Amino acid sequence: MPHLTIGPVGPRAPGLRERRRLSRHASGKMPRVIRPSPAFGAALLALVAGVACKADGTSAQGGGGATFRIGVVTSLTGSAAAFGQAHKNGYAVALAELNAKGGALGRPIELVYYDDQSKPDQAVQGVAKLVDQDHVPLILGAFSSETTRAMLPAVTAKKVPLIMPTATADNVMETGSPWVFRICAGATGYATSTIDFLQHNGAPKTIALIYENTNFGQAAAKAMAVQAAAAGITVVDDEAYQANSPDYKALLQRVAAKQPEAVYFASYLLDATTLLRQAEQIGLNPTFYTSAGTGFAAAEFPTEKGAGKYAEYTYSASQWTPTAKWAGSQEFDAAFTKLTGSHPAFHAMEAYATLVTAAAAINLGKAETAAGIADAIRKVKLDTPFGPVAFDAKGQNAHPLLVTQVQGGQYKVVWPPEQAEAKPIPTPAWADRK
Amino acid sequence: MEVMLWSAVQAVLNGILTGSLYALVGMGMALIFGVMRIVNFAHGAFMMLGMYATYVLFDRAHVSPYLGFLVAAAMLFATGYLTYEGLLRRVVERSDFMQILLTLGISLILTDGVQLIFGADYHQINIPLLDVNVRLNQHVSLNAPWLVSFGITVIVATAMFWFVMKSRLGRALRAISQNRYAASLMGIDVMRIQALSFGMGLAAVGVAGGLLLPVFYLYPGAGDQFTLKAFVMVVLGGMGSIGGAAIAGVVLGVVESLTSLYWGNEWAVVVDFLLFLAVLSLRPSGLFGSQRV
Repeated sequence: MPHLTIGPVGPRAPGLRERRRLSRHASGKMPRVIRPSPAFGAALLALVAGVACKADGTSAQGGGGATFRIGVVTSLTGSAAAFGQAHKNGYAVALAELNAKGGALGRPIELVYYDDQSKPDQAVQGVAKLVDQDHVPLILGAFSSETTRAMLPAVTAKKVPLIMPTATADNVMETGSPWVFRICAGATGYATSTIDFLQHNGAPKTIALIYENTNFGQAAAKAMAVQAAAAGITVVDDEAYQANSPDYKALLQRVAAKQPEAVYFASYLLDATTLLRQAEQIGLNPTFYTSAGTGFAAAEFPTEKGAGKYAEYTYSASQWTPTAKWAGSQEFDAAFTKLTGSHPAFHAMEAYATLVTAAAAINLGKAETAAGIADAIRKVKLDTPFGPVAFDAKGQNAHPLLVTQVQGGQYKVVWPPEQAEAKPIPTPAWADRK
Repeated sequence: MEVMLWSAVQAVLNGILTGSLYALVGMGMALIFGVMRIVNFAHGAFMMLGMYATYVLFDRAHVSPYLGFLVAAAMLFATGYLTYEGLLRRVVERSDFMQILLTLGISLILTDGVQLIFGADYHQINIPLLDVNVRLNQHVSLNAPWLVSFGITVIVATAMFWFVMKSRLGRALRAISQNRYAASLMGIDVMRIQALSFGMGLAAVGVAGGLLLPVFYLYPGAGDQFTLKAFVMVVLGGMGSIGGAAIAGVVLGVVESLTSLYWGNEWAVVVDFLLFLAVLSLRPSGLFGSQRV
């Protein structure tokens, strides 16, 4: 405990530096601002440089004569790191499989990772680094719509093809760049599948949109607003929210006041949990809880690591589930589970399908150059566990979406009928749930 | 009409509950700022550390977060004390620029360090209390964990306030915040008191982190948004006034909740910072007038 001795000298005699400091003030001068020393500046530079260059060091230096190098940009650190990790695991499963079968053009494939730290500017840096230093002829990535959108001018300028595994915002397909390909369905796909499901299962008349205020969320909501209007469903509420907040109760009160028959969410995992828990507290009781996948389609969502019992009855448009009826889905599920100890969500499958498609295109077109690979991707047609893959003139793969419902803690595909494994169960009011 | 009234009541009550947690964060920041004139840019990162401590206790040893927060607070107090002695002490007399860089650096190290150890994945805990809602009437219901954390917050905040205003150590602390040099001439061991207040400031934010854990979730960047909020509270509350920061926290919670209800959630943060700018330019001594602790 400190001593409060009365008197000019404290319990510890002040050291020389302290005394000098005191005398400076005794003379009434303000403390001199001490300039940072050159050493300090150098340390700062090192710090900044260290932060800026956290590229993952999995790539070997030097020319890759023996291997076929493909660049990957994803979010290994930062807010989307969990998804970047899913990407990495999905790529790893594909890589093992492809290299066992001879890789690309008879050479083993080597993935050169660049960690974009979940930041758009870093994703752009990644393109420059991968193309200029690692000389890769093809890039896969990134994770989020935000980071992916930022990369597009760079890949177009450098004339390197980019295959996007997971960016769902529609604006990543609107640049008109001939170098850009997308394997997943976009925001419009989510909206049309959801509307299609709703029209055939009770046809609600009103819908409320709740979405995070990001490229992904806005794109999902915009697409849904357009599709709902086309289907004659009135959008009674439109709520953008600040992601990663602990409190959405007031927002949910607003929605509840409008009494929508359906709610459409575009949220990441943990916000999805917060939103549903607080929806119970507020007593928000729509007939349909629907969503644009992502948080509502994550593997953890219906488990105790996610929303648990609050996830029950929610619908989600989903790119893929381990139970999808495309050949190879179960095998991928098994290989992924063996690698990581948990079941894959569709993000990992999308990464897997992206690399498989890339390798198929390279082998099919015997292409080694960026331009050659881009042409080969345009021509490729193959069946993957992610469904059939073929790109249209704009570079979009016509991927069919599934609608799932959480039933007894499991995702069950309930729509379209040819993929369905269960019937949709009507959503009871919160008060009537056990 | 009646429904609208009750919905406002619900929003205000929820705002107070959220605001009470903000208040703890703000009080910690205000204490540090008042005594050391340091803007602690690592405040949110330390809060995240408190959340991880509580999480690890819950996950490995099944300690309830409502006991675990005490351990988190103790751990952060020690961390704060040592951080001051080891690092901050060297720059506390130097330019603000260096203090900003140092605390910012600490924040980066903590965030990335935690990410190295625990991974970037999200964690959340599920306790039975989360399923309990207290219904006041047909329109108003409050979630039990928020009520519990509100109770704890009131106790901690009152204790902290009493300590600063009434105790001998608190008096020394206030003396330093008024004039560090005069205080040292009166025989107060400035460095020591500053180390203690840095520890206490972090302990407060550790309590907030522990209490937030059950109702929120955890990832290495979870605390970042709270650094900025704490910043706003310190300014609203009057640059280092602990009581002011506490009230500012509650005000912020209620303002955010009402903004969300009437304008939409995306405006809540905008209004936070508009308030911040308005107070800075029109009433730099803070909403509640009094300067300093």
